[in-house]
Amino acid sequence: MLSRKEPKRYEGVEKRVQWVALALAVAFAWLLQQFWQLQIERLHEFQEMAETNRVRNERLKSDRGVIYGRHDVILADNRASTDIVFVPGEALLEKRREICMTLEELLNVNGEALYAEVEKNKRAPFTQITVKRDVSRRDAVRIEEMRYKLDGVFAVVHPQRRYIYGETAGQILGYMGEISQDELDRWRGYHLGDLVGKMGLERMYEHLLHGEDGYAVVTKYAWGRPQFLTDRRGVPRIAARDSHGHLLTEEAPRKEPNPGQPLYLTLDIDLQREAERLLRGQVGAITVLEAETGAVLAIASSPGYDPSVFVTRGLSHERLKLLEAARPNPMRNRCYVEHYPPGSVFKALLAAAALEEGVIDKNSTFFCPGFYQIDGKGRRWHCHKRSGHGHMSVVPALALSCDVFFYNVGRKLGIERIHKWCDRLGLGVLTGIDLPGEIPGLIPNPEWKQQVMKDAPVWDRKWFEGDTVNVSIGQGSAATTPLQNAVLIASIMNGGRRVRPYLNRAIGPALSEPLLSDETLAVVTEGLYECVGRDEPGARGTGRRAHIPGMTIIGKTGSAQIMALEHHKKYETEEDIPYAFRDHAWFIAGVLDREPRIAVSVLIEHGHHGSTAAAPVAKEIIEFFYAQEAAREEQAPVTLARQGGR
Amino acid sequence: MARAAREFEVLDAHMRVLNRRNLLRIDWALPFLVVVLAALGWLTLYSAARSAEDTFYVRQVAFFCAGAALALCIVCIDYRFLIWLSPFMYVVIIGMLVAVQYFGARGGGSERWLELGPIRVQPSELSKLVLVYSLTWYFTLLGERIRRLHWFLLAFAIAAVPMVLIIRQPNLGTAACLGPVLLVMLYVAGCRWWHMGLVILVGLSFVPWLWWQVYEFDPNLDAEARAAHDAAAEFYELKYYQKMRIYTFLNPEADPRGSAWQTIQSMITVGSGGLSGKGYLQGTQTRLNYLPEHHTDFIFSLYAEERGFLGVVVIAGVYLAFLLRGLQFARDCPEMHGTLLAAGVVTILAFHIFVNIAITVGSLPVTGIPLPFMSYGGSFYMTTMMCVGVLLNVPMRRRMFVNE
Repeated sequence: MLSRKEPKRYEGVEKRVQWVALALAVAFAWLLQQFWQLQIERLHEFQEMAETNRVRNERLKSDRGVIYGRHDVILADNRASTDIVFVPGEALLEKRREICMTLEELLNVNGEALYAEVEKNKRAPFTQITVKRDVSRRDAVRIEEMRYKLDGVFAVVHPQRRYIYGETAGQILGYMGEISQDELDRWRGYHLGDLVGKMGLERMYEHLLHGEDGYAVVTKYAWGRPQFLTDRRGVPRIAARDSHGHLLTEEAPRKEPNPGQPLYLTLDIDLQREAERLLRGQVGAITVLEAETGAVLAIASSPGYDPSVFVTRGLSHERLKLLEAARPNPMRNRCYVEHYPPGSVFKALLAAAALEEGVIDKNSTFFCPGFYQIDGKGRRWHCHKRSGHGHMSVVPALALSCDVFFYNVGRKLGIERIHKWCDRLGLGVLTGIDLPGEIPGLIPNPEWKQQVMKDAPVWDRKWFEGDTVNVSIGQGSAATTPLQNAVLIASIMNGGRRVRPYLNRAIGPALSEPLLSDETLAVVTEGLYECVGRDEPGARGTGRRAHIPGMTIIGKTGSAQIMALEHHKKYETEEDIPYAFRDHAWFIAGVLDREPRIAVSVLIEHGHHGSTAAAPVAKEIIEFFYAQEAAREEQAPVTLARQGGR
Repeated sequence: MARAAREFEVLDAHMRVLNRRNLLRIDWALPFLVVVLAALGWLTLYSAARSAEDTFYVRQVAFFCAGAALALCIVCIDYRFLIWLSPFMYVVIIGMLVAVQYFGARGGGSERWLELGPIRVQPSELSKLVLVYSLTWYFTLLGERIRRLHWFLLAFAIAAVPMVLIIRQPNLGTAACLGPVLLVMLYVAGCRWWHMGLVILVGLSFVPWLWWQVYEFDPNLDAEARAAHDAAAEFYELKYYQKMRIYTFLNPEADPRGSAWQTIQSMITVGSGGLSGKGYLQGTQTRLNYLPEHHTDFIFSLYAEERGFLGVVVIAGVYLAFLLRGLQFARDCPEMHGTLLAAGVVTILAFHIFVNIAITVGSLPVTGIPLPFMSYGGSFYMTTMMCVGVLLNVPMRRRMFVNE
């Protein structure tokens, strides 16, 4: 039959077909081996990946802790901010446009743009489209009234930080901003887009205020995100359908979020506001401490800013840049992130140090001819009183702020001992206040000069006696923060115990051992008391403008020079001196015979004289504080009792 | 003896048309395996349906019925008649492939469909079978002369024309199918060993070319830049999406949400199945839409997820049995036509089965290769059933030759 033109098969064709069959079998065996690898050997790896595919931990954000001030006044809390959202999938296709137009009418948003957004999300119709953020109560009510024709329109409530006193204490409370990549890497429990404290106490106590987020375990589809809705109290729930319309179920019991802890501050917001009011129009800083404990009652700086600007519209970098570039800078609190030459305020420390070291005693006198020369020759260091104070002992020298007396004392002490006592009493070192960004200031000594001048010729690197003379009255390179000066006066009032200023009541006070002997304290206190003056006319103390009849106040003025005195002589009146060249005005004060005893430090940048610019401010602060205390005592003694208990 | 021979000659004349006695002589093992595979395919497709609107498993039954009818038609025609027709079919298919370039309907980013009245034809699908027939015609015509180099090389020319046209559509998967068909048929036709070796060497020399194509490849172009890239490509260069697929196969972690997403999700789907699977209708990866193309190209992943390794062994066994049965026909056919035809058709099916399954486990780059009997799709189901028809035809005619 094969003769019928059927092509003959050659020898070995059967074998070739069998080889093909064998190759096929080998290929299939290889495939099965691949499956063995995936399904048996790497099973756990893929099972885990499938499981992470399957469910999603959807975060439930925790409420941020509330910040309270002294007497438990609320300073910062969370208000309910209402967003109106539209979920197109919940409305009929042909009604969506009409709803957008109704929303335009009700909320004054662009309906066409909204509808374009709806069209854009056609493939994920259950995506929440934000119609308007943070609507007013009236708008929310109007939406509620029109519910029957607004299918798929919901109000989503979420907490938003509110600073009740606005600009007051703004620098201290700080503000919130979106978490940075750096913070994201370092901190656990945070996610991209979270708001965290960026400055001030919000930053310092981020770990307490933040709380712990909870989560709900929901089914996770490859496409589509779960959507959150809230009930009217703002409790979040997960919408029944995700953005692509899949029905969602919670797959495990949810973990509720832990709200952040409240923060109780020592800050007296009324005093703070008064301090900020007194500084308005000037550049300066006021610090008020409770002398016994170091509790910060007010820590005001001018100019300031309102942290709410960062809350309501989110932290915009432009706004931040604008604020940071402004001069004078409103972002820095001058109490602890700026330092100034302490000027004559430094004399209080110098007197205490000299008495303690036995360099002088209460009766040691130096003659003030109106100037000072090292070893009686060479350059003259002038006293602020050109005609001289005559024979001076320590008490009148403090009261009248005689420079020559302290030039002598300083030289006798020597720079090393001055530096040592500055370290002890907290000048030129960090106070340890619980606020971020504190700077230490600077008290120079020979090593420091060696270091900063290391590029200068050898003869410039040397510490001169003249440098010591400068430092003796808080000039030269010496620089302290207003907060440090407040700590200094508090320590003097406190039996020589240095306090660590604090804002968080939970931290509590921390006092050092007494650093000064009672005799020293008695002399220095007398000098500082004389400076403010008694209840009698004709008082000559430089701080007499801070005097309040019926109160025992100690204080010390300071006028820190920016330019040499010679420079000021060019101008006929003080008003002619350009602003930038005017002296900084200092005043530190303490009230001895009231409860609680307070230590005040006032700085007015370029205020000319401590006695005229700073001392009256301190007086007003003290008056305000005790008037307020008296009023509160009359009104509600209960509050005070609670305050004491905490 | 002579009488018997004459009788068969008469019979043979009748065999060219429908004949009841012929149908009774049909092989029963192969159709049985086909029904088993088709049934498994339906069940898997049913599981792939995510919602009540997904009714493709119903349509798949219709495709099967239509395909079975088509196979029956082919069974009834003597394969030698079709081989005799194959030079004409070859010319027609080339014409259709050219026509598709100009009048083709777009589908999946390339011109593949040709509308002929109510029917949509995919010439590239048909070209696989036509090539098998054409090569059979050519090799039987040559006989022993296949051992000469120039006749050997001419076979490549025959295969190259449709291949180039299909690549230009572009449809890399189908074009790639033609290569193994040619090689296996050459081998079975009796070519010289060293000729084959030469061809494989030349093929390997294309690897550097492929490397060069993907070497300076930028996977992050936007839509406009991609179009510009494709427009600027020379005829010997790959299109952007083809480069992309090779690139992501070589660097699967480069783009976890893009092309490699499919491979990774398929591997997760397969891998999480374990020994015995998650259970029928319980595959989470599919239910939650992670598995892409879960009812077409990646249906085997779904099967492996739900039935586990044991299920894979079972279905691989059935597939292998099916293919080996086909090769058995090729071996046992006493004449060259049937042997070559069966070997070519088995190669088509084996290529699709092997490549599709290898893609699901991430061993080959993603190319749109459907799985016979399982992937949803009418056109390819028709091809598959036509292949089955051709295979069944081969042993049916066997008895004509044995009794001489």
